[in-house]
Amino acid sequence: MRRPAELRAQAREAAGFTAAVLRALAGDRFLWRLAWRNVWRNGRRAVIVATAVAVGIAGVVLSMAINFGMILQMIETAISTDLGHVQVHARGFQDDPGLDRLLGDGGRGGIEALEGLAEVRAWAPRLRSEGLLSSARASAGVRVLAVDPAREARITSLAGSIVAGEYLDGARRRLLMGEALAERLHVEVGAKVVLSATDARGDLAGEAFRVAGLFRTASLELDRSTVYVRLDEGQRLFQVGDTISELVVVARSREAVPRLKAALRERMGGDVEVQSWGELAPVLEYFVEIFEQMAWIVYAAVFIAMAFGIANVLLMAVFERTREIGVVRALGMSGPRVVGMVALESVLLTLVGLVAGFALTGLGLVLLRDGIDLSPWAQGLNIMGVGATIVPVVRLADFTTPSVVAVLTALLAGLWPAVRAARARPAEALRHV
Amino acid sequence: MPLELRLAWRNVWRNPRRTGLTVAATVFAVVLVVFFVAMAAGLHEKMIEDSVRLHSGHLTLSGPGYFANRTLAQHVRLDAPLRGLLEETPGVRGWAPRVIGFGLLSRETDAQGVALMGVDPEREPSVSSLADRLTRGSFVSRERPHGIVLGERLARNLGARIGDELFLYSQAYSLETAADLYRVIGVMKLPDVTLDRSLALVSLADAQEFFVYGDRVSEVAVLAEDADAAPGLAAALQRRDPAVEIHIWSELMPELVQFIFIDDAGMYILLVILVVVVAFGILNTILMSVLERTRELGVLLALGLRPRAVFRLVYLESLLLAGAGLALGLAVGIPLVLWFQGHPILLGERMAEAYELFGMEPLMTWKLKPLNPIGSAITILGVAAAAALYPALKASRGRPVDALRSL
Repeated sequence: MRRPAELRAQAREAAGFTAAVLRALAGDRFLWRLAWRNVWRNGRRAVIVATAVAVGIAGVVLSMAINFGMILQMIETAISTDLGHVQVHARGFQDDPGLDRLLGDGGRGGIEALEGLAEVRAWAPRLRSEGLLSSARASAGVRVLAVDPAREARITSLAGSIVAGEYLDGARRRLLMGEALAERLHVEVGAKVVLSATDARGDLAGEAFRVAGLFRTASLELDRSTVYVRLDEGQRLFQVGDTISELVVVARSREAVPRLKAALRERMGGDVEVQSWGELAPVLEYFVEIFEQMAWIVYAAVFIAMAFGIANVLLMAVFERTREIGVVRALGMSGPRVVGMVALESVLLTLVGLVAGFALTGLGLVLLRDGIDLSPWAQGLNIMGVGATIVPVVRLADFTTPSVVAVLTALLAGLWPAVRAARARPAEALRHV
Repeated sequence: MPLELRLAWRNVWRNPRRTGLTVAATVFAVVLVVFFVAMAAGLHEKMIEDSVRLHSGHLTLSGPGYFANRTLAQHVRLDAPLRGLLEETPGVRGWAPRVIGFGLLSRETDAQGVALMGVDPEREPSVSSLADRLTRGSFVSRERPHGIVLGERLARNLGARIGDELFLYSQAYSLETAADLYRVIGVMKLPDVTLDRSLALVSLADAQEFFVYGDRVSEVAVLAEDADAAPGLAAALQRRDPAVEIHIWSELMPELVQFIFIDDAGMYILLVILVVVVAFGILNTILMSVLERTRELGVLLALGLRPRAVFRLVYLESLLLAGAGLALGLAVGIPLVLWFQGHPILLGERMAEAYELFGMEPLMTWKLKPLNPIGSAITILGVAAAAALYPALKASRGRPVDALRSL
């Protein structure tokens, strides 16, 4: 069996050649100057290829930025309207939420654990259950959130989402509901509604409330089926004493969440569940993952399309210069240096396009800095929990990934023409017109 | 074959390598466009079909005002003329009457607000897939009065098992209190999280008794041949019965229509970018071939060929180039999509959860619509035509004297 040995020898040879190419590129500034001049030999052609690369890159980076802006907004909306960064519940609450799994004593154990943690920006207690809300004309099943109005205002955007009436204050028996729910029940601010629910002892309880205000958020689910009442009134309605369902905590930043979660877990022990937003709504994290996979597919597709164009131009350039390359070979320029020169030409050409593309991207980002207004399609966005204005968001990776892929594409596309050029036998090439 | 076409065809193949690369780039773009458009079409059709079959139907008939108010006060009587209308109108694949109200369902200390839907056990499967979604127990039936079927999450939140007795409380049609006991006979797994948490089914007769509703129903859901046939069927039904209120799926689920629009917009933007990148390749190839032939084109002009003919010649070349790429691309792309159409891909667990959020089965499907390849063809040829303008103008504008003097 000579095959493996042959393959090994070939691989060694290829590695040796590559090293020689790299050595040639590293040690010779003249080669760089030559490649740069070759790029601009046919200016029109170079500009067309660079434009194709620039348009492709700017288009892809901007579309991805808009997409990512949408996903970030979805996460931020979920966190700022409802989830918070970390939630603390009694053990087993997530599997079976009910009035029999509550944090006793107003969640004092949890609150004490929170005090003094540097990562905590704000926290709020909530009691949550289900109920039936009836107006004079209709009724609907609702999720009831009993909150401390002042604290809730610090952890969610609820207070800022009021579009009619007022936020909860000291007045008794007031509730907030989504605008969409109010429409369905045909009620307005000030109307009387009856909230019926089963209390902790299993008895049916009902109480009349007045609509204090209506809210509109980017979450259709919240707007359609959630009402907010004051914590003490919720505790009385559900007959749960001073217990609560959850403590919602907002961290100083999203990056501090893992540390905050770990610290809370350590301080509070095993009787409670401490979960981050990603654990409470795993789907949000999948979206980021799916987005990242999709971005690679898109980059790959556009760059492959670009590669054809780059290879084509390089190939033409090499053919035009068959005679010239023959001359430099005859004058003693080594194979690795010729390959290095052509590959470098390909990379430089692509980099020109890349830089122009990033300039275009920057221009686009400046133009779109106030966001794109998609209000005609607001409902479609709201089912995803996204508001009507989308601000593109770019990350460092949006520039590094296309740069790396562009250089790789240029190298691959330049390889064939480069090797062709290096293989030319000087005698034949010189005979070529 | 006319002379110009023959000339153009030969010019295209003058440099086979260059032409090959350009055609390959076009083929690549065409295949991607056909593939992704079909993937989106498959996804969207599936979203519509799943939502329609989940419960809404392709269209609903209801009493005036039900769509805007959705309360028991708006109703339609399921009498002989209405039954006749549904039985006799061609294009009705299935219909099912429903009573829809809200209630509070409780068991011991757990309580949940529910959407209570009374369904006709015989008719319901002709429209919705609710009966197929049963994971335990049995569906509502005439034989088992006061039986209730719950969504899985609803059952879990209530801690209810098959055979448990639940207390249902609501407001009747007369606005008096309605309350009764029901026994859990089945649990169904619904792909829509909100529905799974809130939908409870009882038989139509039970619901009419509970809400003191007589022979009234809230709506009749109708299944048409497919989503595209819904508007036509709605118009036909409306002609026969002007009094009844009819809404088709796009009105019942406007957010779905908007979602599809946004999703499509995002995809088309990316595909246009791809096609533009390929168009620059075509532009470059044609331009190079024109510049190489400056002298030759100068000779043609000097011999008396009109500039317009030279323009046509170069233009034909780029259309041939794009056409070749398009034909090959469609020849690869269409069978590829047709194969995927017959072999949907089951998604992994994580993707599946994201799909469930939108109430969809976790299947990736493809659907080739006739407009898809036609649209791709028009786009590619249009962009190629635009890209060829510059080289063609350049070729026809040259002065023969200058051209002959050049190398």
